Amino acid sequence: MAIGWLSRLAAATPPPVFAAVGPGLLPATERLLARPTLRRCGSPREAAILLVAGTIPEPAGAALDRVHDQLPHPRASFDWDGGGDAEAAIGALWRGLLGGGASEPDRLPDEPPNSWRGEGDHGQGGEGMMGGVPYGRPMAMTGDDLRDGLSLDLYTARIGPFAPMLPPGLQLSATLQGDLVVTAAVARPPFEQPAEADAPEACAARLLRLLGLGGDADRLLRGGRPRGLGALAAIPTGLAADAQGGDARARLRAWLGGEMVDVVCPDPGDLLVGLEWHEATLALASFPPSALRRATQAAEAA
Amino acid sequence: MSATLPLLVLLTLAAGAWLAAWLDRLIATGRIEPLAPLRVGAALLLRQRVTTEAPDAMNWRLAPAWYLALAAVGLSVVPFAPGAALIDSPVGIVVWGSCEALTVVTVFLHGWSPNAPFPLIGAYRYAAIGLPVMLPSMFVLIAAALPAESLSLVAVVESQREAWNLVRQPLGLPLFLLVGLTLTLRGPFDYADGEDLAGGTSAEDSGPGRALWQLARLAMLVAFSAMAAAVFLGGPLGPWLPGPVWLWLKTAGIMALTVAAGHWLARTTPGRMLTLLWVGLLPLSFLHLAIAGALAL
Amino acid sequence: MNLLIVVAVAVIAGVALTLAAHGGARPAPPGTAPQALPFLGGGTPDTHAWQRFHFRAYSMTLLFVAFEMEMMFMYPWAVVFVAEGLKALAEMGMFLAILSIGILYGWREGVFRWQ
Repeated sequence: MAIGWLSRLAAATPPPVFAAVGPGLLPATERLLARPTLRRCGSPREAAILLVAGTIPEPAGAALDRVHDQLPHPRASFDWDGGGDAEAAIGALWRGLLGGGASEPDRLPDEPPNSWRGEGDHGQGGEGMMGGVPYGRPMAMTGDDLRDGLSLDLYTARIGPFAPMLPPGLQLSATLQGDLVVTAAVARPPFEQPAEADAPEACAARLLRLLGLGGDADRLLRGGRPRGLGALAAIPTGLAADAQGGDARARLRAWLGGEMVDVVCPDPGDLLVGLEWHEATLALASFPPSALRRATQAAEAA
Repeated sequence: MSATLPLLVLLTLAAGAWLAAWLDRLIATGRIEPLAPLRVGAALLLRQRVTTEAPDAMNWRLAPAWYLALAAVGLSVVPFAPGAALIDSPVGIVVWGSCEALTVVTVFLHGWSPNAPFPLIGAYRYAAIGLPVMLPSMFVLIAAALPAESLSLVAVVESQREAWNLVRQPLGLPLFLLVGLTLTLRGPFDYADGEDLAGGTSAEDSGPGRALWQLARLAMLVAFSAMAAAVFLGGPLGPWLPGPVWLWLKTAGIMALTVAAGHWLARTTPGRMLTLLWVGLLPLSFLHLAIAGALAL
Repeated sequence: MNLLIVVAVAVIAGVALTLAAHGGARPAPPGTAPQALPFLGGGTPDTHAWQRFHFRAYSMTLLFVAFEMEMMFMYPWAVVFVAEGLKALAEMGMFLAILSIGILYGWREGVFRWQ
């Protein structure tokens, strides 16, 4: 009874969509999600529909499966080739889910990363303070820090290729201490995107979204003008300097003025080391996708 | 009056949260959809609550409950009519101040409990920014208490019969708005739930847990707006209309201002904001207190 | 008294609402290992996220404690301010001036940096 009533109420909401963007479809996906009739989700936990834009190349297939399994039930995925009426198809999927449609099962096996059950004093998988793999995972251990030299815990993870704050396809192998990047390396380069992805308004929109101006980002993508204040002042000066003497703020100024930016991006690994996480995401988004891709390929070749 | 006060507080909290969600969507997309908040809430209630590897399940579930309770207690010290507040405490400002401080703890717990990297970073980052924001907040409220010669909000409202504090202490409301943005995790002070952390402390929230957290944020916005209306706009004081109506109108105005500021102001990096708070906003609130003190004598 | 009752009722109501929202939702399959993985955009972590976190603002917190103590003196001061007049203004002015020198010193020493 109550469920039916809630479903009817919910059916008119914009479908919550998390996008996994593949090669070639970044501009199309950004324009699609800028529509107010879809709800753009920053995390799969918020989403019901996994939008898979384009053909995800094989090395990223396992990552796609992981993101898929992280969506709460009931969930559905939608493979999009960039054509057709994606909005209507996603809406139909969403109403189907609310109407009691079947939820997609996990794609990965239900196994913990390490076996742990029954080990340790309480069966939690650990021995003593730091040993073992409690709940399937080891605990973090200490290491050197770059800024003040305090040896606190290091957190090492592979982030991406579908992290919403990083360019699609880019997988960073990063070690964080607190929220500071201590080491960073490109595990996989960003996917190749068409020239449209370097368009000034698309590049500016990505930076504005990271600065908390998501509404402005959507307005730019729909062809409007941004209204927000302080976007330029919010970016620290000298962040992500390029060889031509510009920095992230100068590039955003050029993009907001409608100019294309053509710069050489430094090796992303070197670029990110020593930056705080928010600065790191701004630094990556402050380069056009094509320049970032060239830089990661050059770093791989070297 | 006193018998209806609990009902008034409850009604204000519920209707205010709904209005806040509605204003949020109106300012973000320009669409007028009065039912949208209820629809989004219904959609979230129908979804599964995901749990992470070995989370602190109790704190994760209860963080929205604490947040909601803090909003309700904060709203209870606001007078709905001259001389009538649900918590008519002689130290109402101190009660509100403790709600502010405990909000930082609640947001931290919410980010810490899922045992996941992005929420954890959001939690610590919010603590670093939320703590120094409490200082300008208390300077502003103490400045408002000077002409009233009391820490009671009923007295602060009474002291504005001749002129609102907005006029006597012009720096107060802008400084207090920044506190509101911090308390409700909005725009330039949303260091907990930002886009660069995939939603920060709520990155791992799904289903009912996410719905409650968003509801609690909206409820805190109501409590903050009512507080700002009482301290700077004379709260329930006004001609012709009854006190609660004046308070509602002023609360809605402050709410719209806060939501708009959240959507239109960019957020800088946490390191720069920390310096800006201590070196810029804190001296500004000293100056505000000095001006308010000189005028009160 | 009223304060305690309101706080108790607010906490109980908040917890009850939370339990109702969680209990009233559609029964879902229990979480599985791939679903419980913390979100990293498809990536995987080496360790648990809980750690001895490097809190970059730690040096600021010491200065914050000084200001919080100062806040406690300001509450009674605010109540007697008008009665005491210029004397109260001068006293708090001196107190804040000393603390301001503390801020300037801290700034020079880099206390507010994300270190």
